[in-house]
Amino acid sequence: MSDFHGIIFAYGAVPELGELVKKRTASSLPFCGRYRLIDFALSSLMNAGIHDVGVIMRRDYQSLLDHLASGKDWDMGRRIGGLRMLPPFGLPEYHRGDYTGTIEALNAVSTYINDINAKYIVMMHGNTAANIDLRAAIRQHLRTGAEITAICTEDTPDYNHHRYIVGEDGFAHSMIFNQTTAGEGAASLEAYIISKELLLRMMETCKAENHYHFHRDAIAAYLANGGRVGVYYHRGYGKRIMSTQSYFAANMDMLKGEKRAELFPPERPVRTKTHEDVSTYYAEGSKAANCLVSDGCIIEGEIENCIISSDVRISRGAKLSGCVIMRGVQIAEGVMMKNVIADKVSEASAFQTIMGSEKLPVVLPKGTKI
Amino acid sequence: MKKSCIAMLLAGGQGSRLYALTQDVAKPNMPFGGKYRIIDFPLSNCANSGIDTVGVLTQYRPLQLNSYIGGGQPWDLDSTDGGVFILPPYQTAGETGSWFSGTANAIYQNIGFIEMYDPDNVLILSGDHIYKMDYSKMLREHMEKDAACTIAVLQVSMEEATRFGIMNLGENGYVEQFEEKPKQPKSDLASMGIYIFNWKKLRKYLIEDENDPDSSKDFGKNIIPNMLKAGEKLWPYRFDGYWRDVGTITSLWDANMDMLSTTLINLYDPSWPIRSRSVAQPPHYIGEDAVVEHSIVTEGCVIEGSVENSVLSSSAVVEKGARVLYSVLMPGAHIESGATVEYAIIGEGTVIKSGAHVGAAPDGSDEWGVATCGPRITVRQGAQVKAGAMIYKSEEV
Repeated sequence: MSDFHGIIFAYGAVPELGELVKKRTASSLPFCGRYRLIDFALSSLMNAGIHDVGVIMRRDYQSLLDHLASGKDWDMGRRIGGLRMLPPFGLPEYHRGDYTGTIEALNAVSTYINDINAKYIVMMHGNTAANIDLRAAIRQHLRTGAEITAICTEDTPDYNHHRYIVGEDGFAHSMIFNQTTAGEGAASLEAYIISKELLLRMMETCKAENHYHFHRDAIAAYLANGGRVGVYYHRGYGKRIMSTQSYFAANMDMLKGEKRAELFPPERPVRTKTHEDVSTYYAEGSKAANCLVSDGCIIEGEIENCIISSDVRISRGAKLSGCVIMRGVQIAEGVMMKNVIADKVSEASAFQTIMGSEKLPVVLPKGTKI
Repeated sequence: MKKSCIAMLLAGGQGSRLYALTQDVAKPNMPFGGKYRIIDFPLSNCANSGIDTVGVLTQYRPLQLNSYIGGGQPWDLDSTDGGVFILPPYQTAGETGSWFSGTANAIYQNIGFIEMYDPDNVLILSGDHIYKMDYSKMLREHMEKDAACTIAVLQVSMEEATRFGIMNLGENGYVEQFEEKPKQPKSDLASMGIYIFNWKKLRKYLIEDENDPDSSKDFGKNIIPNMLKAGEKLWPYRFDGYWRDVGTITSLWDANMDMLSTTLINLYDPSWPIRSRSVAQPPHYIGEDAVVEHSIVTEGCVIEGSVENSVLSSSAVVEKGARVLYSVLMPGAHIESGATVEYAIIGEGTVIKSGAHVGAAPDGSDEWGVATCGPRITVRQGAQVKAGAMIYKSEEV
């Protein structure tokens, strides 16, 4: 499928993720125990046979670089093409602050986009928890002859998003912005299949007019000029992670078998950086109920409704309920925790009690000891 | 490029005593301890000891071993001037070629491979041992003692000594006599089947042994005794860590059970990682009413039933109401609801249908055995597989 090239937006400044994105981008947030959010975009591309992928990043990308390495975990470590990291380069006007929008991000790496040999570009955001069947989306794109196809979710979005209003011909001719709940139209996942030609045209027009946003500026103008946008419905789990609360909720969703099956269908496996960890050991007297647990952990205490990453230790007498525990976290004996997100290698010392709520989970920042 | 030491790993064994489990795979490629294959242990030991060139000698069911080892990347053995190489028997011009007829013959047939690296020493390893060992320490001692051959030895009890090759030492501490499975052992130092040879010397003895029509072309039976006879210096390298030969069903089960204890062999030690090739699976899921105690569980598993004192490899499934006790589930084994598995080894991808009962608890009885179900079979609904039974076809139950 060398006709297709992937672009993943991983520059995402998502301030509502707070402490969780202080030292990383939203795309490199650990998710569901052993994954990073960007794994879903990468695996969706990989499973559609797309191996040439550019990842646009802006700042705080060290953890992302660590994770992606040469891209070989997604079969993207190639002699020609493969995975390319695209930090800002060249243009002095892009040296400060964040990208205001997707088009600005694309213009910042316009030389890369210009040099793409493929006819079509698949664009996705790195902080999307969705296993998209891109082969099906591409088939539809080619069949309908659309210049651009928007990938929309049938799932209920819980964040600010826009919707495409689909006409009788199956194409969208208008869109509505700033939606926060389910409603009329198709909720955009901000993933697109677009011809390279149209994308370059949009980038140029936006640059000339000082516009930055892909859907708000480029697509709105395209529709206003009589353009039509194909709409592909992604069935199954599909959420963009836009806040601490949606991050927590999406993790908890994975405890439900049917949601897990949607995100991890056997025919489209989700790949990630492989860690060589041992199996997890459950001690005598430990208790686990409704939990997802990664390799390399030692569980002596009690866990219930938890997502546990690798290399975690839950000591005797500790009781965790509704927690998201990231890699390398140490929980000492007698600790009580409810609705806590414990970031990487944080530690809770003996007999601490930390209580959050489902709506407002407590975050233990990376590396903190309490 | 010249190397100080390269390793040759004897992975040829069919493992006939593991019959049901090794129908389709060579013993070194057998899943072990939840996350591993047996061969991960010597390969990881090599990488951790700084040995970057490993030849793997195999002639039984090489396909899966081949695809498992691949380029050696999971063990960091994919360097440009070394690496891990699968070495099957081969034909040469004008000859018909032949299978490896013994451990020494296998090395003899690969003299050409070894000479490519012009090594000072060659480390001979076996593909069916579970242990963590720093070969660089053994190599240092080998060179300090100016030995023609250094043999790793383990102290065993005098009763056990009758099952091993036993080293009798002289006053200077060098090996004086080697006895294979002696009825009346004179020493308690057992050979672990791990040797470092001075390559020039080994080469000479391999060629001589090859020309001896009466030889069985075996290290223990021929090469070592010949070297002793010729007055070569053989040094015993004492090892006192965890080491298990997993050549029988009982020893394979035992060694798996040992993995439940970090005091016997600590696999959580970041300074000596045992690496394996694995494809990422989702974290394992423990259901609402599941019980998991004193067990290890690997990614991709789904446990809704009860699991005690057991080793679960990746993607094993234990349904609601199923019970798994003192057992080893290999990757993808599936225990349906209401089935019981105790004191058993369940092969890769094997399904135990609901209500079936595999193995039985010893409850103080001495006369028992581990029940074994081979890979990719189905034990039908309500079937009984007795303690110690070995099943390798679905039709057997």
